[in-house]
Amino acid sequence: MRNNLSFYFILLLSIQGFLFSQSHPSVELSVADYPDHSRVFIESSHPMSLSVEKSGEYIMVRIRADDPFRIRKQAFQSQRVESIEWGRGSDYYIFTIKIAPEDFVVQKSVSEDSSLVLIDVMSSSNEMEENHDHSLSRSRGLNSTESSAAPQKEELRTIVIDPGHGGLETGAEGRFGTKEKTVTLEIAQKLKTIIERNIPYRVQLTRKEDVDVSLERRAAIANNYKAYVFISIHANGSYRRTARGSETFFLSLNATDEEIRRLAYMENNSSELDGIQSEEQDNLKLILWDMAQSSFIRQSSILAEKIQTKLNTLSGTLNRGVKQAPFKVLTGVACPAVLVETAFISNPDEEKNLTKDEFQESIARAIYLGLSEFLEEYSL
Amino acid sequence: MEYKKYILPAILFVMLIIFMILFFGSQGKEKTPDKRGSDMLKENISEEQEQELEMKSVVLFFISEEDHQLYKEEREIMPGLTLEHQIESLIEELILGSEEGFLSPFPPETKIRGVYITENRIVYIDFSQEFQAAHLSGSSAEISSIFSVVNSVAYNFESIEKVFILVNGTEQETLAGHIDLRRPFLPRYDLIHD
Repeated sequence: MRNNLSFYFILLLSIQGFLFSQSHPSVELSVADYPDHSRVFIESSHPMSLSVEKSGEYIMVRIRADDPFRIRKQAFQSQRVESIEWGRGSDYYIFTIKIAPEDFVVQKSVSEDSSLVLIDVMSSSNEMEENHDHSLSRSRGLNSTESSAAPQKEELRTIVIDPGHGGLETGAEGRFGTKEKTVTLEIAQKLKTIIERNIPYRVQLTRKEDVDVSLERRAAIANNYKAYVFISIHANGSYRRTARGSETFFLSLNATDEEIRRLAYMENNSSELDGIQSEEQDNLKLILWDMAQSSFIRQSSILAEKIQTKLNTLSGTLNRGVKQAPFKVLTGVACPAVLVETAFISNPDEEKNLTKDEFQESIARAIYLGLSEFLEEYSL
Repeated sequence: MEYKKYILPAILFVMLIIFMILFFGSQGKEKTPDKRGSDMLKENISEEQEQELEMKSVVLFFISEEDHQLYKEEREIMPGLTLEHQIESLIEELILGSEEGFLSPFPPETKIRGVYITENRIVYIDFSQEFQAAHLSGSSAEISSIFSVVNSVAYNFESIEKVFILVNGTEQETLAGHIDLRRPFLPRYDLIHD
């Protein structure tokens, strides 16, 4: 019954979401400042086709659009970006970004699915020592003006953050009525911001609002974005109100040694699948897809260790350690994947903490630090 | 030629003797297994009666609220005629609850709808919906509940390798939103308190 209800609810939401997104594509603009550069984020609900041009003290961004957009501009204060204005042409929008320094360099990065564009602005004076990418374009004989006229396209890797539960699935609930689904989304959004402001990765959330998303869909989102890392955010629940602390999980395969050996063999010899009848082959592929996480267990355990260490030192929560369990949401994810139980919502003290911005920030920051340490060691 | 007149009676006499030997001999042979068979039957019945009297001693794993670890408690269960029956009585003991203040993974009104064992050493245990309906959401609580059941079964019955949990006759995605119920579980003895 509960399953049926949630099914119809998801159906309704997805139909609604479909109609809504069809009629109102949206573009969101925001700006962040860093010591050596400023970054303009242009994020769209749809893939964008756009060009970036430097013209005097302006950067002109032209986005192709057959239908009208909904444009949301977040308020910002920046040392380098003075203002962003926009206007509409026959089949395009044009954004005029006014830059404060007279001499500046522009660099554009586009996500794989072209729905996120980052425009980095740095003054020419510090670009030589600090920007490696630009020195690369310089070595190709391009000067700063040319490089901005023909910006290098850089593929951004995606990190998928999964705010646990949502919609009818409230998850655990605290004594003061705090819902797990609410705090997981708030922490995930904070984590997204911290990651995107500090390292050149694009962050995709499995849900941006309070909606039902099936566990299989969450894993599918990670795989469709070719996620580099998957992090699921949760808040724990216990029978007893005194249980407290954070723990980080990675998947346990829940298989015998013999089964693990067979699975590893199949993965390494997938060409042998060709000799098998197609129906059986489909079944085998289904098992491999279903257990996609099996090839990443070791990396996932390292990621879990790094995140748990930072949680322990930074967030001030009791260290419950790194653990292994057969979590449904992790099974199908084809990249290093962990599930963080940030704190116990069933513990009144931790429940109060979980609703506080500072606590959420410290958890997000700890996860970010663990993640970035992992990326430094394991990035290709 | 006089001896000829004795031949027929002699042959008849010999045949009579052979016939009698065959007749009584075979009767005797038939009787013996009959007797043995009934004796064996009697022995079987008495062995079963003796077995029924001997209770089977088992170890159950209950949940600690403090640390979510699993704590051992011993019980005596009726041995039952089949392994399925024995597993059912073991789970019934688990539903009855702890004698030392620990938690049972089940609400007391939980029923066992069926127990099936497959050739590849997996036992399917089908619970009534109470097991899932009122289950607390939270990874720790979910992990403890599942492995209280799985460890209790696997620890006591060597021939069982994995436990598959069904609710209301069907496979469930998870118990309460986290742990994958679509695959059978191996026991996790690392969750047991030392």
